[in-house]
Amino acid sequence: MELILIFVSAALVNNFVLAYFLGICPFIGVSNKLSSAFPMGLATTFVMVLTAIVTWLIYHLVLVPYNVEYLQYVSFILVVASLVQFVEMVIKKVSQPLYRALGIFLPLITTNCAILGLALFIVLKEYSFVEGIFYGVGAGAGFTLAISLMAGIREELELADVPAAFRGAPITLIVAGLLALAFMGFAGMITV
Amino acid sequence: MSKKQVSLFNDYTKGVWDQNPVFKQVLGMCPALAVTVSAMNGIAMALATTFVLVFSSFIISLIRKLIPSQVRIASYIVVIATFVTIVDLVMRAQFPELSKELGPYIPLIVVNCLILGRQEAFSSKNNPFRSVLDALGMGTGFLIALASLGAIRELFGSRSILGVQLLPDAFEPWLIMILPAGAFLTLGLMMGGLNAMILRRKRREEADILSKHIPKTYVAASEGQEV
Amino acid sequence: MKTIIAMLVTLTIIGVVSGGGLAMISGWAAPLIAANKKAATERAIFLVQPEAKQYEAVAEVPYELYRVLDEGGQPTGYSFPWEGNGFQGNIRMMIGLTPDLATITAIEVLEQVETPGLGTMILEDPFRGQFNGLKTEPQVDWVKGAPPTKENEVQTITGATISSKAIVDIVNDGLARLRTDLAQGGDK
Repeated sequence: MELILIFVSAALVNNFVLAYFLGICPFIGVSNKLSSAFPMGLATTFVMVLTAIVTWLIYHLVLVPYNVEYLQYVSFILVVASLVQFVEMVIKKVSQPLYRALGIFLPLITTNCAILGLALFIVLKEYSFVEGIFYGVGAGAGFTLAISLMAGIREELELADVPAAFRGAPITLIVAGLLALAFMGFAGMITV
Repeated sequence: MSKKQVSLFNDYTKGVWDQNPVFKQVLGMCPALAVTVSAMNGIAMALATTFVLVFSSFIISLIRKLIPSQVRIASYIVVIATFVTIVDLVMRAQFPELSKELGPYIPLIVVNCLILGRQEAFSSKNNPFRSVLDALGMGTGFLIALASLGAIRELFGSRSILGVQLLPDAFEPWLIMILPAGAFLTLGLMMGGLNAMILRRKRREEADILSKHIPKTYVAASEGQEV
Repeated sequence: MKTIIAMLVTLTIIGVVSGGGLAMISGWAAPLIAANKKAATERAIFLVQPEAKQYEAVAEVPYELYRVLDEGGQPTGYSFPWEGNGFQGNIRMMIGLTPDLATITAIEVLEQVETPGLGTMILEDPFRGQFNGLKTEPQVDWVKGAPPTKENEVQTITGATISSKAIVDIVNDGLARLRTDLAQGGDK
């Protein structure tokens, strides 16, 4: 039960994009088409779960026992960067269609602050290994949801008569603000 | 000023406005939106980011010729993460209150695309002096953006700027300004407003040119500018 | 082969320099950070026990508990941090109690992520002040929309009922734990 709450909390109540402002770059950059936003969300979720697993192990099996917590940021970001590289290689070997669908997004994921943010939050919230994984899945689902919703809206916006000055980033930010307001409705739904 | 001075001056000033990281390049959005509930937080965040940016740019520019290109990104992020850890440790030791306020957004400077972007686009190709100028310029631009966003949100969200109350008690604070939604809306409106100003000035300039040359040539006014 | 060696050597050198530098800076910062944390806890302990002059940690319980003393070293109550769920996330607070645990001296919220302007009213006096001198027997209760009538009641904040109830719940939860542990004779 606790685990489901962690999942729902990360996905809806404390949505990474709309409440914590993590992963804004791809959220604004890759959200103009649903057909690219959704795969981007999936790729990010995949890397998030792997990151949750590996950084948890590194933090609790290496950094804490050897008392070198100050290497946390350096090691975490290296983990994220190598994981992304590794995932890219594996996907390329295993499935060409999947690689063609996700390939171009993978390098972008390294500098997606949602990934590093996830690793840091797991440490901060003192989650156990399994809780960390559920948190990662939830955060990924939340990111996918936010970016897909955004892409759906932006596809419609293409047809709308937006003032010239507001085209592009400004109108995207304003729509994101309205989405954030909508997501506030989830606040207090559950408490974790 | 000599030509060389002009170009050095330009290394600094381009980041302040023409290529402003937040308003023009739409980079570094995470911290720009997350910590700007007050002007002070925005300023502190921008200063921390500038510190990391300047020192990373200097070091990376210094060793740019020694790094094999295959591992350059990995090298950059290690250098950046090192300076971020330094900032984090110093802030927790000397400014515990501020550090608590900015929370996990200090470590997230590591993945601020602005910093990695400048290494890739500038420091890896230019000498340390110019790289530091570039970094200082981008930092100043980031500071202007975060401070103004923070000031607007603080003014309407809690009646004050930098903790000094400016609006009377009769003014009911707009809660939305300090909520996440307010961050998105304020920045969106600010960017739109700035674009509108730029478009208007451009139209006026074009109108001036047209009025001088009409009816010799007919020039179609070009539509808005790419941001 | 040559490039691979160059790659490895570069990364190793950068890693070693970075690690070494950070170790040095961390060695300087760690004691200061620990001192800051201690100062923050100390401030909170005395904030909820305005009369107290000194404090000592109680070692018999497996969580943080401080006995506060007056100038002569006589115990005048307890301060202890406790946490629980709020409306949007964790709330951590410091609770001050008299020695018999029957009355709250004051409370102070240390960490919270409630809705700004509504939930955050738990930090402010109209609500927080109700806890000064509040009775805890048999437990703290809340009433909604009307001033409290009993000595162990507080009125919830309009628009922030869940946050208000959360504070009451955390206080009761901490109290229950403390009563059991101290009754078992772990402490005089």
